[in-house]
Parts: sequence; C-alpha cells; structure tokens
Amino acid sequence: MKSIKNLFFVLLFLIFVSFAEGADVIKIGIVDTYSGPATTFTKDVLDGFSFALSQINQKGVLGKKIEFVTRDDKFKPDIALTMAKELVLKENVDILMGTISSASALAISDFCKKEKIPFLVTFAKSDKITGEKGHRYVFNMNENTEMAGRAAAKVLSMKNFKKYWIAGDDYEYGHAIANSVFNHLKELNPKIEKLGETWWKVGETDFTPYITQILSAKPDFVIVATGGAGMVNFQKAAQSTGFNKKIPFYQHTAIELSTLMPQGKNAPEGVYGTANYLFYYPETKENKEFVENFKKQYGRYPKSGALYGYITAHMIAKAFEKAGKIDKEKFIDALEGLTVDSPVGKVEMRACDHQIMLPTFFGITKKSPDYEFLIASDIVSIPAKDYMPTCEEVLKQRK
Amino acid sequence: MNYSGILTQLIVGLSRTMILFIVSSGMSLILGVLRIPNVAHGSFYMIGAFLSYTIASFLGDVSYSFWFGIALAPIIVGLLGFFLERVFFSYLYEREHLMLLLLTFGLASVLGDLVKLIWGAEYRSMTTPVFLQGSSEFFGLPVPNYNLFLLFIGPAIAILLWFIFNKTKFGKIARAAAADKEMVSAVGVNVNLIFSLTFVLGCILAGLGGALVAPIVNISLGMDHSLIMEVFLIVIIGGLGNIWGAFLGSLIFGITQSFGILIWPQFGIIFPYLAVVIVLLIRPRGLLSSTW
Amino acid sequence: MVKKSIILITIFTVLIVLPLIVPRFYVYLTSIILLTGLLATSLNIAIGYCGIYQFHHAIFYGLGGYGTALVITKTNLPYYIAFIVGPIVAVLFSLIIGLICMRLTKLYFGMLQISLGSLIWAVVYRWYSFTGGDDGIHGIPVPDFIADAKGNYYFTLFVVSISIFILYRIINSPFGKTIQGIRDNPIRTVSLGININVHKLIVLLIAGFFGGVAGMLFVVVDNAVFPDMMFWTYSLEILIMVLLGGMYTFWGPFIGAIIIVTLRTYLGSITQYWPMILGLILIFVIFFLPQGIYALIENFVKGKAHNADS
Repeated sequence: MKSIKNLFFVLLFLIFVSFAEGADVIKIGIVDTYSGPATTFTKDVLDGFSFALSQINQKGVLGKKIEFVTRDDKFKPDIALTMAKELVLKENVDILMGTISSASALAISDFCKKEKIPFLVTFAKSDKITGEKGHRYVFNMNENTEMAGRAAAKVLSMKNFKKYWIAGDDYEYGHAIANSVFNHLKELNPKIEKLGETWWKVGETDFTPYITQILSAKPDFVIVATGGAGMVNFQKAAQSTGFNKKIPFYQHTAIELSTLMPQGKNAPEGVYGTANYLFYYPETKENKEFVENFKKQYGRYPKSGALYGYITAHMIAKAFEKAGKIDKEKFIDALEGLTVDSPVGKVEMRACDHQIMLPTFFGITKKSPDYEFLIASDIVSIPAKDYMPTCEEVLKQRK
Repeated sequence: MNYSGILTQLIVGLSRTMILFIVSSGMSLILGVLRIPNVAHGSFYMIGAFLSYTIASFLGDVSYSFWFGIALAPIIVGLLGFFLERVFFSYLYEREHLMLLLLTFGLASVLGDLVKLIWGAEYRSMTTPVFLQGSSEFFGLPVPNYNLFLLFIGPAIAILLWFIFNKTKFGKIARAAAADKEMVSAVGVNVNLIFSLTFVLGCILAGLGGALVAPIVNISLGMDHSLIMEVFLIVIIGGLGNIWGAFLGSLIFGITQSFGILIWPQFGIIFPYLAVVIVLLIRPRGLLSSTW
Repeated sequence: MVKKSIILITIFTVLIVLPLIVPRFYVYLTSIILLTGLLATSLNIAIGYCGIYQFHHAIFYGLGGYGTALVITKTNLPYYIAFIVGPIVAVLFSLIIGLICMRLTKLYFGMLQISLGSLIWAVVYRWYSFTGGDDGIHGIPVPDFIADAKGNYYFTLFVVSISIFILYRIINSPFGKTIQGIRDNPIRTVSLGININVHKLIVLLIAGFFGGVAGMLFVVVDNAVFPDMMFWTYSLEILIMVLLGGMYTFWGPFIGAIIIVTLRTYLGSITQYWPMILGLILIFVIFFLPQGIYALIENFVKGKAHNADS
C-alpha cells in the first residue's frame, strides 16, 4: 500500500509543478524541425526570432518579457502535434509558432482552433493553411505556394517563352507551386502551351534521368517545383548536364542563399528564381543594419527564415502592446491589420485571411566577384498587393 | 519519349544502381557470413558520405582531394566497424537474429545522432572532381561523366569481391564459416578473426558507397533511413551472402524504380516493392543461391 | 495470485480516478500510454508467445487508424461502424500478408513482411486524394461524449481493459499453450497432430486485430492519422517496448510501452537527441537485461518476499 501512497504524492507533485508557472512573462512555444535537412531553414527562423526578441525585451512588452521554448518535431506531423499539445496543456504557452512542414502546420492549426490558441506559421508553404483550412486562430508569417506561383507568373508573362514544361517533386508542395505558376501564366498569356510534365518522388537524389527526358522534348522554358534539399540537388544535376545553358528554368527560392551558398562557385548560372529575402537587396539602411547586426551575432548572413522570425517577433510584441493586456482574443484582434517595420520595408498582416503581405524578389543567378557563391542579378521587386490573391478568392476556399 | 531518351534514362538509372550494389554487397556479406541483419549499415554509408565531404573540404580545391576522400573515408568507416564488431557484435553471435536486429537499430540511432553532433543537422554539398565534371553526349543527349565513372566502378568492385571470395584463402574460409561455423573452427581456424574481417569489409563497402554518392546528392541526416530498407530488400531478393545476387537485386530494384516513375509517376515508388514481392513468391530464398 | 489481483484492482482504481485529479495533459498522455500498451501487448502475442518474426506490426496499427479515419471522414456511416471497420481492415491485411509470408520462416518472414508493409506504407504515403498523403488526415470528428480529454480517456481505458482481458484469456487458454509449444518445440507440436500454419495464422490475425484496435483508439485520442504511424522505424520502436518490458511475459510489453512513451514525451521535449537515448537504452537492455524489466521487478518482489519469510 505504501507504493500507492508514493504514487499519490508523485501525482500531487506533478499537479503542483504544472500549476506553478509564473505569469510575469509572455510565453511562446515554438514547434519546428531541428533535426534533418530542414534545419538549414528553421535555424534562421529561430535566430531571427531571438535576435528580434533581444531588442524587444530591453524595454519589455506591457512590463513583461517575452520568453520562448522550442520543441523538435523531426519533420513528423504526429510528433509536432504531441509537442504542441504538451506546450499548450503542460507548459501553458500563450502563443504557438513554427513548423516548416505543412503537414505539421495543418495538424497543429487544427488543434489550436479547438483550443483557441493563436498559432503563427513561420515557414510552411501550403496555401491550405490560411485558405481552405484557415480560421480565426491561425496566421501565416511567410509566403505560400499560391503567392509564389502568382509572383513568378507575373514576371514570366513578360518574357517571350511559348512552350513550357513542368517538373517537380511529386507531392503537394511541388504540384501546388507548379500549378499555380502555370495556371496564372496561362491567364496572363493565353498563347503559351504545356508540352508535358515530369514528376519525381520526394527525396529524389539524382535528377539526371529527368533532365535528359526534358531535354529531348525541347521546351522553351521549364518550371521546376522542388523544395528543401531537392533545390540544391536539381541545380547540381543542371550544372553537370549543362541543362541551364540549353533551356532556362525557374525554381521558387532558386536565388535564395540557402540554395546557392552550399554550392559555392559551382552553382548553375542563369536560373530564374523568386525569394522573399536577399541580404544584399534592397540596399536600404534598414536592411544593411539588420544584416550587419545579425552577422555580428551569428557569424553568417541572414536568409529568408531570419526575416520571417524577425517579423514574427515584432508582430507579437506590437500586437500585445496594442491589445493592452495578455489576452488571446484581444491579441488576435490587434494582430489583424497590424503593420511593422522590417528589413524589406513595412509589412502588413492582412486582416481578412491572416496572411502576411511580403514583397517578392525575382532574379536570375549570376557569379559575383564579391561573394564566394552566386547571387541574384536583374532583381525585380514585386510588391505584395500586386500578386496576392484577393480576400474574396481566399475566403471562398473556406467552406 | 523517344528511344534515345529511354536509352540515356537506362544508362543513368544503371549508374545509380551501382551505388546501391556497392552498399548492398557489403550488407550481403555481413548478413550472409555473420547473419547480422545490420540496420546500422545505412549509418556507415551516411558516415562515409560525411567523411568524404570533410576530407575533400579539408584538402580544398585540389585535384586529388576527391580520391583522398574515396580512399580514406571507407577506411575510417572500416575502423569504426572493427571497433563496434569487437565491442558489441562479437558477444551476440549466439543470440537470435531479433536481438542482433534490435542491437543494430540501437547502434543506428546512436550513430545517427553522433553524426548530428559532429556535423550538425544542416545538409552539406560537395562538387564532383574537376576531371569528372561535365557530360558526354549519347544520341544527342547528355550523360554526366560522373555517372559513366560509376558505371565503370560498380562492376570493378563486383569482380574484386568475386576474386576475394573465390580465389583467396580468406574468402574460401569465410564462405565455409558461413555454411558451418563449428566445422570451420574445429579444424583450427580462428573464426572470430574471419568474422571480424568480413564485418570490416562490409563496412568499408558501405563507406565507399557513401563516399561515391556524396558528389551527386545532398549529404544529410536521414540518408541512412531512406537507403537501408532498399538495401535490405536487394539482399533478400538476391540471396544472402551472394555478391552476384546483390548485383542482380540492385539491377532489378534500380530499373523497376526508374521505369516505374516513367510509367506511373504517382505510384512509381511501389514498383520496386512489387518486384520484391513477386521474386520472393517465386523464389522465397532469393534469386541466386544463398550461403544459408 | 491474490496479491496480483490486488495490484491490478488498485491500478485500475487509480486509472479510473486519474482524470479527476490530474491536469489535462497527463490525462492525454495516459490515454496514449494505454493504447500504446495495447499495441505492444498485441505484438507480443505474435513475437513473444508464438515466436513469429512480426517485424512490421505498425502497419496494422496504421491500418486500424486509417480504416477508422476514412470511414468517419469519407462516409456518413455511424461512428460505431468506423470503430469496428478500423480493426477489421487490420485483420484483413493480416490475413493477406500472413498468407503470403507464411511460406517463409524467421528472418525471411520478417523481411518479407517489412517489404509488404513498406508497399502499403508507400501507397498510403502517395495516395493524396484518398489518404491525404504525407499530410495524413487531421481534425477527425468523434462523437461528443468521447470528444474531450476525459471522454476519450475513459473510452480508451474501457476498450484497452477489455482487449487486454481478452488477450490474457487467450494466452492462458489451451490455444495459448499450443502456440507457446509451437514456439519452443515445433517438431514435437507437429507430431502431436497440430497444424502449425493454421495456428500461426490465427495468432497473426489476433495480433493484427488488436494492433488495429490500438490504431482506432489513436484516432479517438488524437483526432488524426499519419503515414509515420506505419513507417518501419515505428515497428522497431514497438519491438523495443516489448523487449524492454519482457518478451516472454504478459505484462512486460505494457510496462515497456509505459516507459518508452513517458521517456519519449519528457526527454523528447528537452533534448533533440532522443533517438540516441533510445538507442543506448536498447543496447543496455540487450546486454544486461535480456529478460526485460518485468522479470527484474518479479525477481525483486520474489526476493523480498523470500527475505521476509526467512
């Protein structure tokens, strides 16, 4: 019987511990992938976020400091959901943020809707997050596949390509990006045609067979929809087959640092790409200051993840200040339509669908004498309002 | 798609199969002779890739850095294998396969996290050596020179392994030990040493596969998990411990995979598994005679 | 024996009052532990009691989950049908896989099962329009009375208790003795005129069914299914639970599940290196605790009783 008594005390202790959380801080729970290849992107979100927090916490928000705890979801939605539950039910976090995996984001989003916890998605790209599956408690702090596709279509429609080929990762992200680019391109320029499609399995490591297949069809332009590690792999294969010299192609995030830096000087030139952030563009005082301070603290250039993290932190702080107290519903009301300053200028949280409004940069890869890796040239900046789907279009998807 | 397209597709698909073969031949040896279903084999492959990256980037942009990586990485992996065999496996040969399987799974988990501790979680990328860069034309379509290099090295390894196991004393004893361990030790051969060496050889092959694949993929955590199941299946359909079986199994696996994607992109991934099921239904012990 | 039933009744009472005294998270965690315990126990029927190398048990867990989830989300059938369909799907696939693998023994059996299981996994992982692909299916509605943490906890407790009771009766029935005979001495069993393959197949169906029940419960508790539920690494994790707790004991796998799920939840939240810890635990158990923790506890209790007597 003694053991039962002990068990009882253990239980009491557990209850005590879980209720003893102090309320003098604003607590943010971050669920994201910190193991595996996705870390390349998520580490920047985290560093951008804590970089901004170190500024914010100097004066505090409503007299409180913002603290955060992280949980590794290993790129698995089931672990992500368990971790989100643990953070909300046990750690009593005020806000959840994170996930690079769209599957994880959707799973957590559903849970947050039930629990009425604000959830800020920092890197997942599915347009379902704020579209079809959107609701009051979920916010998207980065661009989604629909937006990326529309931005690319806008620029490509001004070029003179007729015969297109579509290729990509055979999963949701790939199809969503590719379809979005092509469909909007077709709207803008009805004369273009699609010669064919190639899809490879996710995690495909050698793209040469697919490239030879595309080459033999001789299209004018190829839309390549790969994500994560596939970006680098595809570019390597393009370089070794000379693909980029024969047929120009577009990849979302092709001009991003995370894609170009690992390849050094050997990355293919002339690849069309879009990105939300480039540390060397725009050449404004705000951006230069951000890059300089970030580099001083972390010893590397910030990538787009750092921008998402930075904006998220400032949005949270400013929304709480506007709300006037630590209240989840008031926080959401305050966040809707909120504007903050960022290295890429003023950005707004659109009130109707909770989608952040970021500019997109379009460019073509090129060697540079200043850096040990390729950078984007001929950069075109596309303001958010020019390429985002309208509120009506998004809200129509929610039934 | 025209015939020349299919042909280049075949060439490139075959060259990828060579890496599968090199890794699975190592697994086949370990499974055939030592009877260890070694889940950690994928970890050795991953470590080989990371090591060759480190060696190549340590030496910098010189022409021989790639060869150094190819030579040194498998040896280091072999030493690691030797250590693990002595410390862990040598005590478990009498236990069930199940225990060995779980032990290797435990080791794979530990090794995976050790790689993360040493190299970090971000992916790495290295370039192909200068003289293997670029591509050669086949019927007007480019095939990268590195893939041609792989096409050459795969059969070379196969012949080397065949020579070791059929023409050297070590190989003959190892094959005898695989068939009947007691018998071999009864005639005064140090079976433990033979087992150790076979294990090390298997690890070297895994490390070599990793070093060879490094220039054409992202070197990242998780490359062990995605490979190990394929390698297991190749070894099973080829026949345990049979080098040519591993070769045949790799071909079947690689070709069904590349053509499966052409035929039915969405479910291309299932064709190799289907091939395995069909082979095992017809020949439950694998295509070629196993040493068991 | 009396002592054992006292312990069981006490544990059961604690489990019944638990949601009334602990915060929601622990109720949720206990639900997960209970269903994982059932999963490990069901695997043990095959691998521990009958010596079948059921290497890919997670498939049946996943099929049970997907079967239930798909009936709820794609049809208008009543809920109780969804709860039954999950396990039935698992049994059906157990039968198919079992018939195919039956011709092989030991390691070959296990490997073929893994490859067939991976085939199912690949289909589930790819079939976006039907299974949700790698996103899985989430936000699965369940009836109101089991929708909140307490409700689904009691439902889980109820189903797990009944399932465990049935499994316990099976193991201690003449059939249970026969399958242990098949494990220990197949030649003798054949000479007694027993059809080994039929018995093994029945064992596989039982294991698959209760694996499917555990999967169904996962849907009730987490309102979601994911392809990772049926990835081969998870199968090995269940195997670890069985081994850690004690393969040749009835309660061992359940204890293994309690330990692994608890550690995974707590250590997984404070460190990224949970796989390494799991690996080290596994290596330790293989070398120093091959009989499992349950045997350790039993020896400890017996030793104590012995000391008290003398």
